[in-house]
Amino acid sequence: MIFREVEDRDLIAKARRGHVDAYNVLVSRWEKRVFNYLLRLVGHREDALDLSQDVFLKAYQNLRKLEDPAKFPGWLFRIAHNEAYSLLRKNRPEGELAVEPKSGEANARMFPIELSLAVQSALGLLSDDQREAVLLKVYQGFKFEEMAEILACPVSTVKSRLYTALDLLKQTLAPVNMGGAE
Amino acid sequence: MTCSSVDLKAYFLGEIAPAEKGGVEDHVRACQECREELDRLRVTQTALLSLEEEEVPQRIAFVSDKVFEPRWWQTIWRSGPAMGFASAAMLAAAILAHAYVRPVAGPVQATVDTAQIEQRVEREVNARLEATVAKAVRESEAKQSQQFAQVMVASEKRFEAKRQDDLAVAQQAARYFEQQRAKLEMAANDSVRPGQ
Repeated sequence: MIFREVEDRDLIAKARRGHVDAYNVLVSRWEKRVFNYLLRLVGHREDALDLSQDVFLKAYQNLRKLEDPAKFPGWLFRIAHNEAYSLLRKNRPEGELAVEPKSGEANARMFPIELSLAVQSALGLLSDDQREAVLLKVYQGFKFEEMAEILACPVSTVKSRLYTALDLLKQTLAPVNMGGAE
Repeated sequence: MTCSSVDLKAYFLGEIAPAEKGGVEDHVRACQECREELDRLRVTQTALLSLEEEEVPQRIAFVSDKVFEPRWWQTIWRSGPAMGFASAAMLAAAILAHAYVRPVAGPVQATVDTAQIEQRVEREVNARLEATVAKAVRESEAKQSQQFAQVMVASEKRFEAKRQDDLAVAQQAARYFEQQRAKLEMAANDSVRPGQ
């Protein structure tokens, strides 16, 4: 893990000096995580791919503004968060929450397994903010402090969103879990 | 520690302070309700993690674009260590160059003929002295010639003024004598006329 961090730092330093190849290596390491984060946040494969490309382009253009290369993951996800919310705001009227599950047909193509469908559906019941908190914590493993930086909000807000989301997911997924256990 | 004072979710998510961890674990061992809540959280997390990550449909890669690439001097300028190394290298090169180019002191200097140097210095001093004296003489002569010319001009002016004065006196005397002659001639005519 430490070795990987050092390598990322070297790649960032090279990319800052204009080495596009070094940046492409960095992209190849992070594109899957960023793509899946965006896919689960916006719920649309093409949008997630377009957003991923925008995220990495913006990251490259602003790489010199990154003061501490060790904070690259949080910084990258901060860009991804901003890009995703720009799209969500554009596609959805102000203040409207994502209370509707995603299209069953689309989800069926993305997640054919029954449990995956149930999880995807349960995530779709959450608000954008709650779902993003779950994505950053459960799937990306960020700490509360890092999440607060990515989301530009206090740690207390992060905890509130995440705890509420976990309570909702517990209730929604309970029958599935019980069924799976039987 | 009571159920309400235990942040079970923070403990489950690995965000609890190390100092509080032991207390929470003691409480969970003693509290069945909290143990069941912890189990529900674990099951929920397991379900969430069953969602596999998708592969990216196509690789995200960037090609080298000359418009966005920094110029060679920008690359050097933005690279602190490289800039420092380049400066150090230039300084070292300058020191070495100076060491090779500068005149060598010591034994070579001892072989120089001091008499020749003295002669050359003496000749040079004499030449410069002669040139300085000649220049001073030329300047003095030029100054004297200028003064002489000024004096001559002034004398000529004075002479001309004196000549004009003398001419005026002579003309005045001539007019006086002419007037006296005319008077005498009239007087002579008057003395002749009564006798006729």
